[in-house]
Amino acid sequence: MQNEGVRSLGVRVFQALVIVAWVIFAVLGIQGIAERLWYGHHAANYGSYVVWGLWVSAYIYFIGLSAGAFLLSSLIYVFDFKQLENLGRLSLFVAIVTLFMALLSIWFDLGRMERFYNVFLHPNFISIMAWIVWLYSIYTVIMILELWFSLRPELARMQSAAGIKGIVARALAFSRGPLSPEQEKRCLHYLRVLAITGVPLAITFHGGVGALFSTLAARPFWHTPLMPILFLTGALVSGGALMTFIVSAFWKNGDAEYREMLRLLGKVVLGLLIFDVVLEWAEYSIPMWYGVGHEVDLLNKVLFGEFWWVFWIIHLGLGTLIPLLLLVFGGDRPAAVGLAGLLIAVTFMTVRLNIVIPGLIMPHLRGLESAYVHPRLVFHYVPSFFEWKVTFFVVAVGITLFFIGYWLLPLIPAKDKESLHGVA
Amino acid sequence: MENRKDNVTPKRKVTRRGFLAGGALLGSGIMGPVATAGENDRPSRVLNTGRPDAVYPLTNGENIIHSVCLQCNTGCGIKCKIVDGVVTKIDGNPYNPWTLHPHLPYDTPLTEAVLVDGSICPKGQAGLQTAYDPYRLRKVLKRAGKRGENRWITISFEQAVKEICEGGYLFKHVPGEENRYVEGLNSLVALRDPKLSAEMKKDVDAILNEKDHDKKRALVEEFKKKYSEHLDVLIDPDHPDLGPKNNQIVLAWGRLKDGRGDLYKRFAAALGTVNAHGHTTVCQGSLYFTCKAISEQYVGGKFSQGAKFYWQADLDHAEFVLFVGANLFEANYGPPNRAVRITERLVTKEVKIAVVDPRFSKLASKAWKWLPIKPGTDAALAMAVIRWMFEHGRYDARFLSAANLAAAAQIGDPAWSNATWLVACPDGKPGKFVRAADVLVDGVPLRAPEKRRYVDESSKKEVEYEEEFMVVMSQGALKAVDPNDNQEAVFGDLFVDTKLPDGTPAKSALQILKEEAFSRSFEEWCEICGVPPKDVAAVARELTSHGRKSAVDIHRGAAQHTNGFYNVFAWMTVNMLLGNIGAKGGMLRAATYDYKKGAFDLTQHPGKPVAFGISCIRHEIPYEKSTIFEGYPAKRPWYPLSSDVYEEIIPSIGDKYPYPVKALFFYMGAPPYALPAGHTNIAILADVEKLPLFIANDIIVGSASMYADYIFPDLSFLERWEFHGSHPNIPHKVQPIRQPVIAPIPEECSVFGQKVPLSFEAMIFGIAEYLKLPGFGPGGLGSDKKGEPLDLNHPDDFYLRAVANLAWGDQPDGSMAVPDAADREVEIFLKARRHLPQSVFDPARWRRIVGDKLWRKVVYVLNRGGRFEAFEKAFNDTHHTHAFKGLLNIYQEKTATTIHSGTGEPHPGFARYIPVRDYLGREPAELRKDYEFHLITHRVISQTKSRTIADPWLTPLLPENVLLINPRDLTRLGLKSGQQVRIVSATNPQGEWDFKNGTRRTVIAKLHATETIRPGIVSFALGFGHWATGSSDIEIDGHIVRGEARRKAGFHANAVMWVDPALKNTCMLDPVGGSVSFYDTYVRLEPVG
Amino acid sequence: MGATRREFLEAGAIIGAGAAVAATAAITARLDHRTTDPVGEETVRHIEVLPSVPPSPEEDVLVRMQRDLARAMAKPVEQRRWVMIIDTRKCVGCHACTVGCVAENHLPPGVVYRPVVTEEYGEYPHVQIRFFPRPCMQCDVPPCVPVCPVHATWKRPDGVVVVNYDRCIGCGYCITACPYNARSRDLGEYWLDGAAETETTSELPILGQNAPWEKTPSNEYAKSWDRTKGSPVGNARKCHFCLHRLEVGQLPMCVTTCIGRATYFGDANDPESLVSELMAAPNVIRLLEHLGTEPRVRYLI
Ligand SMILES: Nc1nc2c(c(=O)[nH]1)N[C@H]1C(S)=C(S)[C@@H](COP(=O)(O)OP(=O)(O)OC[C@H]3O[C@@H](n4cnc5c(=O)[nH]c(N)nc54)[C@H](O)[C@@H]3O)O[C@H]1N2
Ligand SMILES: Nc1nc2c(c(=O)[nH]1)N[C@H]1C(S)=C(S)[C@@H](COP(=O)(O)OP(=O)(O)OC[C@H]3O[C@@H](n4cnc5c(=O)[nH]c(N)nc54)[C@H](O)[C@@H]3O)O[C@H]1N2
Ligand code: SF4
Ligand code: SF4
Ligand code: SF4
Ligand code: SF4
Ligand code: SF4
Ligand SMILES: [Mo]
Repeated sequence: MQNEGVRSLGVRVFQALVIVAWVIFAVLGIQGIAERLWYGHHAANYGSYVVWGLWVSAYIYFIGLSAGAFLLSSLIYVFDFKQLENLGRLSLFVAIVTLFMALLSIWFDLGRMERFYNVFLHPNFISIMAWIVWLYSIYTVIMILELWFSLRPELARMQSAAGIKGIVARALAFSRGPLSPEQEKRCLHYLRVLAITGVPLAITFHGGVGALFSTLAARPFWHTPLMPILFLTGALVSGGALMTFIVSAFWKNGDAEYREMLRLLGKVVLGLLIFDVVLEWAEYSIPMWYGVGHEVDLLNKVLFGEFWWVFWIIHLGLGTLIPLLLLVFGGDRPAAVGLAGLLIAVTFMTVRLNIVIPGLIMPHLRGLESAYVHPRLVFHYVPSFFEWKVTFFVVAVGITLFFIGYWLLPLIPAKDKESLHGVA
Repeated sequence: MENRKDNVTPKRKVTRRGFLAGGALLGSGIMGPVATAGENDRPSRVLNTGRPDAVYPLTNGENIIHSVCLQCNTGCGIKCKIVDGVVTKIDGNPYNPWTLHPHLPYDTPLTEAVLVDGSICPKGQAGLQTAYDPYRLRKVLKRAGKRGENRWITISFEQAVKEICEGGYLFKHVPGEENRYVEGLNSLVALRDPKLSAEMKKDVDAILNEKDHDKKRALVEEFKKKYSEHLDVLIDPDHPDLGPKNNQIVLAWGRLKDGRGDLYKRFAAALGTVNAHGHTTVCQGSLYFTCKAISEQYVGGKFSQGAKFYWQADLDHAEFVLFVGANLFEANYGPPNRAVRITERLVTKEVKIAVVDPRFSKLASKAWKWLPIKPGTDAALAMAVIRWMFEHGRYDARFLSAANLAAAAQIGDPAWSNATWLVACPDGKPGKFVRAADVLVDGVPLRAPEKRRYVDESSKKEVEYEEEFMVVMSQGALKAVDPNDNQEAVFGDLFVDTKLPDGTPAKSALQILKEEAFSRSFEEWCEICGVPPKDVAAVARELTSHGRKSAVDIHRGAAQHTNGFYNVFAWMTVNMLLGNIGAKGGMLRAATYDYKKGAFDLTQHPGKPVAFGISCIRHEIPYEKSTIFEGYPAKRPWYPLSSDVYEEIIPSIGDKYPYPVKALFFYMGAPPYALPAGHTNIAILADVEKLPLFIANDIIVGSASMYADYIFPDLSFLERWEFHGSHPNIPHKVQPIRQPVIAPIPEECSVFGQKVPLSFEAMIFGIAEYLKLPGFGPGGLGSDKKGEPLDLNHPDDFYLRAVANLAWGDQPDGSMAVPDAADREVEIFLKARRHLPQSVFDPARWRRIVGDKLWRKVVYVLNRGGRFEAFEKAFNDTHHTHAFKGLLNIYQEKTATTIHSGTGEPHPGFARYIPVRDYLGREPAELRKDYEFHLITHRVISQTKSRTIADPWLTPLLPENVLLINPRDLTRLGLKSGQQVRIVSATNPQGEWDFKNGTRRTVIAKLHATETIRPGIVSFALGFGHWATGSSDIEIDGHIVRGEARRKAGFHANAVMWVDPALKNTCMLDPVGGSVSFYDTYVRLEPVG
Repeated sequence: MGATRREFLEAGAIIGAGAAVAATAAITARLDHRTTDPVGEETVRHIEVLPSVPPSPEEDVLVRMQRDLARAMAKPVEQRRWVMIIDTRKCVGCHACTVGCVAENHLPPGVVYRPVVTEEYGEYPHVQIRFFPRPCMQCDVPPCVPVCPVHATWKRPDGVVVVNYDRCIGCGYCITACPYNARSRDLGEYWLDGAAETETTSELPILGQNAPWEKTPSNEYAKSWDRTKGSPVGNARKCHFCLHRLEVGQLPMCVTTCIGRATYFGDANDPESLVSELMAAPNVIRLLEHLGTEPRVRYLI
């Protein structure tokens, strides 16, 4: 059983990877967060000119993952995607976790964290930012309801379980007894209605995140109508890839169903990836063709500047080309597909960085940097280690939440659950 | 709620408080604002938010003190805004002509003036950060390690004073100095008897004035016999002209302003030392001393009374200004006062400017023409212009022909020149002026000598002398001139080349100048200075197209060369040819109110010994007169025509020439940093054998004070008194007063039974008290008009009386006194100082010092930050009201009769181009070989030497300096902008600072390509690359205080500037005007890393 | 079996309702032009500038403009139209305005309202340098305003774009929206961070970090801001034409401290004002005109 061997090795490696990452990120992250809370933004490298840095990039990255995962779940529920049926709840849960990670990232970026509620008290409904915050809130409610409806039948069944799982199940099921088929159907009905509702919502808010950037006439690099679309496909690719990886790592054994699922996921991701690459090509090649103007300078910076390797090696190499090869040639090997998912999902962060940062590094007015010289007044940015640590914290929190959910909630049909080495 | 300022009248209801304040104003007889405070519940309404509105405290006179900035020496008037005792904002004082143009009428009520802010530069704005520099010293420091090691312990003020005065094994705790006995001041102040010293001085003068060598020796022997009982007071009995041991105490300073200057000089006088020397020559010595030489008056048959001053252009009225080596918008004296006078006029095209500078300065960006001169060739350019003027007949012939006072008066000029006076030229070499008494026409003198009397400058006594008169050619005939005669006007012929009846060739001064100008062709002159002839011609034409409303404004770029004196002379000669000295639109000089006389005579110094002897920098005395004359070259240069020769203070100590120095006081100066080749000073300061006792006064540990044995902490410019004086570009008669604004940072101590903050003054008073020096303490200031003794127990005793003098005015009868301050003004005055401790501000004490009669006048003056003439008063229709009056020396007899102590050659008495030379008169071809770049230096608006690096607000304007270089040079060398290079020169081939404390620093610069500099030249900005001044760690009482890395940024290339190859321990220098050479060094750039 | 028609319809209804609410919110927000600023009588200030000194054509333009200012302040705020005109021909690149503003408004490191940009062009010996001070343009169509999620920044009736530090959450969105980079992020730093550190707690004979100037409150918007206690730390900050000084009859700091007298300020609605005279000059330009922000700051070149 060669395949089995490879698969379980893959699973082990993947899981070990996640756990090691979790431990390291948690240790560094706690440091980072302590620093953030104690010293504020002192050790951060963003400033007044490059206002947004790693954390905002991380935010749109996680939001993308969330939207992607969510859309996947909707797909499953709305179109009753049989092969992926069992993935619905997990996707929803991952969407919630990544949304939380996104919000956490952006929250840490706020100058005055304690005032975030002002967005609810004093919303400015002309501001896209206000809109997306409100949409997130609705989205969160929808997702939680959806998840609840999707878990409801299972929770009811689990109430009798021993230990924490039982307690949690009882709490979430409000200690009501097992559902009748009628009730289960009603749950499914609500679930579908919510799922449908969620689709335009997710599209709107994630497109909205794109619009957050693209509506800024002051920033030629962002100011392109393609931006919302790019954000959406990006969300789908990265979210899909993440789910693919999670399935490959946390799904039980390599039965045919599992393999079929991964094969399918692999195809979906491959399709999205290709679509995304085409869009990106359009975005980059059109201005480059004429070779003049603001954007060209910027693209030149992205492609051939100091951080050329971020685009060429990480994004294009590790995040696009290798996954592409893995998916094309290893499409029916779970480990290959899982690895492709991992690579795409993780490296997608660079795509986000390459949207946020370049938009800020080329001002309309030249010479400001030398007019008043300060590290916070430069059009150049590399995240500081401190910033990374805070992002690690967010990731660690995300992984923790994932594990908790994975462990306590019936996110995956019991039979599919892979025992977690050292965790569950 | 006294915070509401007095000028805003709220819309509604006038409250009770409003009435009160208004009442005070009405009571003062001034119709002020209708009402003041009010609407207290709603002071301002800008934002409707939950946060309450707050009163803006900075327009309330009770939170304002007017003073004077000292972030640079421009000394702009400032308005210090104080919140809870803390200066939080500094703006311009609107009464002061530096910051508002026109400045407010002096009688504008303070309550109205507080609303008007004047403009100041960024350094001025940041001044409060200098005052609140975290590294500010609060206690006396004593050296705990080797000199320069930066290890300190704190000791009490009393102990410091005692140790310094008594001497002893003061540093036995320092390895290597266990057995070093330090002589205290007590034993150095050997000669204290006023009578004895006066007598000795007279006899020494006789020795000096004796020209015959043998007779000189005989006089010395006689002297030794006469004073055989007192020979121990002398440094060297065989050379009594070196003076008493007292001279082995040297008082030196960097930036010293009046008031403090008076106390320091009083201290020197009390100590009986002639050695009190400032930093003029590092600054722009030759600008001052050339103008001094130009302004020498013919009095008592000789040339004297030249004033140490200079002229600058009248930017209010000039139609054309040629700026030479003047960095108007970044430095100079200074950006706020000069920029405001010219920018609008540039835009309206009322004035046109051209700039002579190897570097395209910000000033050049507003210029019609930029002449990127080769450094060091200013005189050549000036000669080109002079030649052009002669060739085209474009000079003020009428002015130049006036040969005496009466002639000048006749044509309505305050000054006249000696352009037409005849100079005897035996062997063709111009020497002294022809004297009418010596010209025998048919055996009869042209004019017989006359016995006359004049008041001698130094002794202030009437002296009889024989007047011999000058000679001009008037319409072809020789004519005697009585220069200062106000009756008979004499006009001379301009160009005269003749033979006197006895056959001696004689030429008019102008003729000599002309011949010099014609010694090279116009193109040759232009070739020397590297400027296209057509540009020079265009500039010359423009310069001579505006009558007297045209001027050449010169600054350091021309002055700070080995040929600085003659560069300045040549350019000032252009001004004289334009006849613009003192003319409206021409050249101005500074005018100040006298604070030393009036209500109190502050020049009295009862009981002081008479100081005599050759100064340690050998100034104002010809080498030839001394008993240590040993032929040429003299071991070190002598400066008969200049003073305050900064670059000679420490190196002379190093060479013990003319005598060893035992104790050095240094106030507010940093020669290691400031001087070219300043590293040479470090080696001497660090050497306890050469300099046994070194006492510094500083606000922090600076680059000179770090080598001190003791550092007395000082008050910053926001805590102290000074009378800043003026600059030649300020047309008004002024006296800006620097006064305490914030509570002192240093601790208190006591002197003469009074509490004073540790300070410069405390140091002087403490030592004076300990040594019982005359002129300090009870009766120290002599007596008042009624004969009552005037004490000098507290510095305020001097300063406040000086203010009283200003309030009293120039007229002895008090007719120019200022009005009394109104009640409200007095109230504001008191409240504005509520945060000052008694040791500084004690209203009762203050009032007592000046007396009730003057008190309110003193308040009036202090409230306005000084005394300032009304705007309209500065000019009449044609001239500056305070124009220079008297003789202008186009030909300088005094200069022509002094001898270069390095070469033995006489100095030329007329404008001339002299190439860059070392002390022995050699052109430095050797030093230039293999060093292809010409290094110059310049200022940027954001920094001043060692004073502003403390200010973090200034850092973002330029965090580090760079080496400006033309891209063509970069390409040629294959170097890149931004690359690091080591700068090396023939006299510092390692390009290194050796701090003599085990640390070194290489001069490594970041290249910056710019088209704004002439190819072949590289330049760096002053004020960066610090190693002391808060930039390095220091240890105090065993604890480390970390330096701030920000202050080390950039580089300081003074160490690479040439060391004079003959003198070896000082920079290259101007043998006449004393200037140091800042712009003559050649360097090589070596890529590093 | 996928979702039913009914489910689609239900979801559609929810979405429709949501969209309707959203559209209403957006439209109301767009149409809402109410101002929360004080207006009318209560904003009128009677300020006397140098009543004892008669105005004269020769007086310093600073005084002239201050008199102009007093006239403007005597009108209600909605009748004032503040503009700034910067004469680059007179600007000497001294940065006094930059630092004056930093000092007046207690700006921390990394925050600047009015940098002065130096432009160098040409080739030796035909070179030129020009200086462009850059305050906030107080755009009439300010892209920085609509983006703010919490209404913390807006344009006042007199045209000044302000920030309510107490409302601002510090998201930085407005900063990215300003094409002039005229907004900064106050990240809570202090100028003396890192100066004169010692390892000892015992008192040393130096002033040390006791330098008090940094902790005194600033007076922006005529309120008191103690940065040791919170805002404006964390907020977006920008030039506000020194409204707090205008209130008391003083010109903006950068105007009064301009040593080249290159900065003019006043009420464009007052035909007698100096700025009204200057605005008509043929050599007036505005920065980034093509972006349609309608800046209130003009340059004379
Ligand atoms: N910001 C600032 N202002 C200051 C001071 C400060 O330290 N900082 N210091 C004050 C003091 S003490 C002084 S003395 C004044 C000095 O005021 P300035 O003399 O006006 O200032 P510098 O920058 O020394 O000017 C020297 C100029 O001469 C040019 N130069 C160099 N070599 C030559 C040459 O051979 N010929 C000619 N024609 N030009 C040459 C340099 O490029 C530079 O522009 O500034 C005062 N104001
Ligand atoms: N490369 C280069 N070097 C130059 C120049 C240049 O253009 N380029 N210019 C030269 C010129 S023009 C001049 S005038 C000289 C100036 O040279 P200096 O007069 O020697 O220098 P400053 O920097 O004014 O003096 C500063 C010293 O005084 C201390 N100090 C500061 N404030 C106070 C105070 O309030 N009280 C006391 N007691 N001490 C205080 C400082 O700590 C420092 O030790 O520099 C010269 N050096
Ligand atoms: S020019 Fe600037 S630093 Fe110099 S005195 Fe004036 S305000 Fe102060
Ligand atoms: S310049 Fe920038 S900050 Fe100012 S109003 Fe315009 S967009 Fe807003
Ligand atoms: S930083 Fe403040 S003012 Fe700017 S958009 Fe965010 S909340 Fe509004
Ligand atoms: S108007 Fe005020 S806030 Fe704006 S740049 Fe000028 S000084 Fe700064
Ligand atoms: S203060 Fe005036 S002259 Fe100086 S940089 Fe600013 S605008 Fe230009
Ligand atoms: Mo100087």
